[in-house]
Amino acid sequence: MLSRTALAMLTAAMLSGTAAAETFRWSSDTDPQTMDPHAVNSAPVLGFLNNVYEGLVRRDKGMAVEGALAERWEPIGKDGWRFHLRKGVTFHDGSKFNAEDVLFSYQRASSEAADTASWFAPVSEVKIVDDHTIDFLTTAPNPIFPDSIANFMILDKGWAEDNNAALPSKEEENFATLNANGTGAFKLVERQPGLKTVLEPHGGWWGTVEHNITRAEFTPIQNPATAVAALLSGDVDMINPVPVQDAAKLKQRDAVTVIEGIEARVIMLGFAHAAETLKYGADAGKPNPFRDARVRKAVAHSVNVDAILQTIMRGSATAESQLISPAMRGYSKDLSSRPAVDVGKARALLAEAGYADGFSFGLKCPNDRYLNDESVCQAVVSMLAKIGLKAELDAMPVRNYWPELRADNFDMYLLGWSPGTFDAEHPIRFLAHTPNKEKKLGSWNFGDFSNSRVDELLPQIQSEIDDSKRQAMLDESAKILQDEMAYVPLYVQPLIWGTRDNVDLTQRPDNFFILRWTTVK
Amino acid sequence: MEALSRAWRSDFSWSFRHSPVAIISLGVVLLLVLSALLAPWVAPHNPFDPASLNLMNGFTRPMEPNAFTQEIFWLGTDDQGRDVFSTILYGMRISLFVGFTAVLFALILGVTLGLIAGYAGGWTETTIMRVADVQLTFPAILVAMLIFGIAKGITPVDMRDEMAIWVLIIAIGLSDWVQFARVVRGATLVEKNKEYVQAARLIGRKPGAIMLRHILPNVMSPVLVIATISLALAIIAEATLSFLGVGAPPTQPSLGTLIRIGQGYLFSGEWWIILFPAITLLALALSVNLLGDWLRDALNPKLR
Repeated sequence: MLSRTALAMLTAAMLSGTAAAETFRWSSDTDPQTMDPHAVNSAPVLGFLNNVYEGLVRRDKGMAVEGALAERWEPIGKDGWRFHLRKGVTFHDGSKFNAEDVLFSYQRASSEAADTASWFAPVSEVKIVDDHTIDFLTTAPNPIFPDSIANFMILDKGWAEDNNAALPSKEEENFATLNANGTGAFKLVERQPGLKTVLEPHGGWWGTVEHNITRAEFTPIQNPATAVAALLSGDVDMINPVPVQDAAKLKQRDAVTVIEGIEARVIMLGFAHAAETLKYGADAGKPNPFRDARVRKAVAHSVNVDAILQTIMRGSATAESQLISPAMRGYSKDLSSRPAVDVGKARALLAEAGYADGFSFGLKCPNDRYLNDESVCQAVVSMLAKIGLKAELDAMPVRNYWPELRADNFDMYLLGWSPGTFDAEHPIRFLAHTPNKEKKLGSWNFGDFSNSRVDELLPQIQSEIDDSKRQAMLDESAKILQDEMAYVPLYVQPLIWGTRDNVDLTQRPDNFFILRWTTVK
Repeated sequence: MEALSRAWRSDFSWSFRHSPVAIISLGVVLLLVLSALLAPWVAPHNPFDPASLNLMNGFTRPMEPNAFTQEIFWLGTDDQGRDVFSTILYGMRISLFVGFTAVLFALILGVTLGLIAGYAGGWTETTIMRVADVQLTFPAILVAMLIFGIAKGITPVDMRDEMAIWVLIIAIGLSDWVQFARVVRGATLVEKNKEYVQAARLIGRKPGAIMLRHILPNVMSPVLVIATISLALAIIAEATLSFLGVGAPPTQPSLGTLIRIGQGYLFSGEWWIILFPAITLLALALSVNLLGDWLRDALNPKLR
């Protein structure tokens, strides 16, 4: 009798033990390329590192900005913001957080070596007031500045300097690409690029713990079928994304839940605007036809987005005509129609531009970054073939893709853009403004699109406080980008996550998976 | 006529006529090879011509009209609206071409090195055979991937697609020469001490001529058997590499590429994209293998 009770107690203890100590496993198709929060400005990196590092401010479940390392902030005069820093915050290695770390992180993240420099384009100076107060001065009034730095993550000055990582490194490895020391709710305990990344809760975290995770393991799984199989078998507790083709079937399964939402990410085609000659295909070395807006328009008229959405995307995405989705602030409502699919018109435009017989060029495409990216590129290739454009497709994993784009190794490429600020100004700053290292603008404008009016509008948009005036300028800029066909926007990608039924989590619209909102039952 | 009837009456032919497995295998191989060779005339579509594809035909079920275009495809279509039947025929061309060429490459390399090793002996033999032994310790597919990776690294970016097939051939060929070298060396060791070789040496024939004219014809029958079995292995190796995404370029899918594409749609219910290429690969590899088995038995005097 006694032993039976003991056994029951033991079982109960074991059961409760498993309930309290939870290892959470999740997977995504893209591995965050780096653990350095300033080295690559992409959602897989920033999304992952939001669990490890923190900014002055952060976004809550509904994307609204709330205090993180800054408790509160207020404008100082017209041209700046004062941040009052949280006291008693420690980094994962135990060192104290103070204003020095913020200043250092600002210098690091705005340096030329960083990929995040554009965030600080409006900043003229950063001044430490005292240990826990810091001022960000801007060149012009900037009402959205605190909103725009939610992903500006703070790292420890001493740690970075001691480990020879005072500057970020985009492509080569340094200490900070493989290690992390933030103030976030989770600390990095193991990093094997492309294989496995392990996080554990940070005991000294300042916030209130909502999760019940004791260890979290991230594994990138590139093959969509493998990811689905891993979720069904319980090898992982969550996958992002669920392959669009499997969503319908997965919804019928018992132990798993499909969570859908609309992502802010617009998938588009980009061009080499400045290159004198084509780089790939049979016509490599000949003058670059994409410098001519008529050729870019011909491309827009030849791509049948609806066909892509109905087949490859299974109806779970919506066509798009601008660089942002309608859900974003500052969307131009009157410019919402896409160029009609019209092979005849496309051919006429090509003939007008002097390319009646078409030409051959190279299309670069990632194969592990966006939903069905390679399939979409292949479909684009066959659609372009119908107007006589022969695209040579080169699809590659994203860790090779960004370096290729940065090195201008493309004639045409596929890009997805999600505005981190959820505002129409963001893509103009990153994708449309003439690349300018000094002003930290146009940092993802790989094709060097340049339009003087757009360049002129951007600072005015940034400092305009009146909503209708601001919208008028955003509309004007969106109109120019459409008329010039700087990019060919295709569609807004859906958000589809799959979880085991015993997992409770929050799907944030920017596709960031925040571990501290996750509980395992 | 005389020659024909003599061939008909030979042991070899008798053995073939009395082996149903060999007859069926040869039939399947011939059917597949012919339909691959004649693909441009047999296939209803050309899947390698992107302009002819209609994306709205994507994911059509076999033998059922497409919901948008009403077109019917025997074996359905894949994600790009490519007719699976046509793609299999064209894909098989690549698989067979890579298989044959890779085996030919391995055969020439292996037989040459095997002959030299067996005939020359000494440090030449030791060097060649130790290299072969070392290579044997690695799985062939690993060696092929290594070679493929190196080749990708050194070929210029814009040449990669054109080079991909040749790199594949060299990678598979280089991973497969050891079998040939070992067998030929063994047979050469036996042959080189026979009287006819000694006689040839006595009358002053050069070593190259002795190897080529005298020894080679007498060591070829096991080579033929290995070549047939290697062909099946090479086709599978190509499919494996393409399945792993390091083989044929996506715009020119081989059978392995098709299976890789199909694998992504296993859970969503589009079974035909993977099933038909897989069956074709299985039929091709199995019948070539069975043919090789029969050939080994037929050419082995001890089994008669």
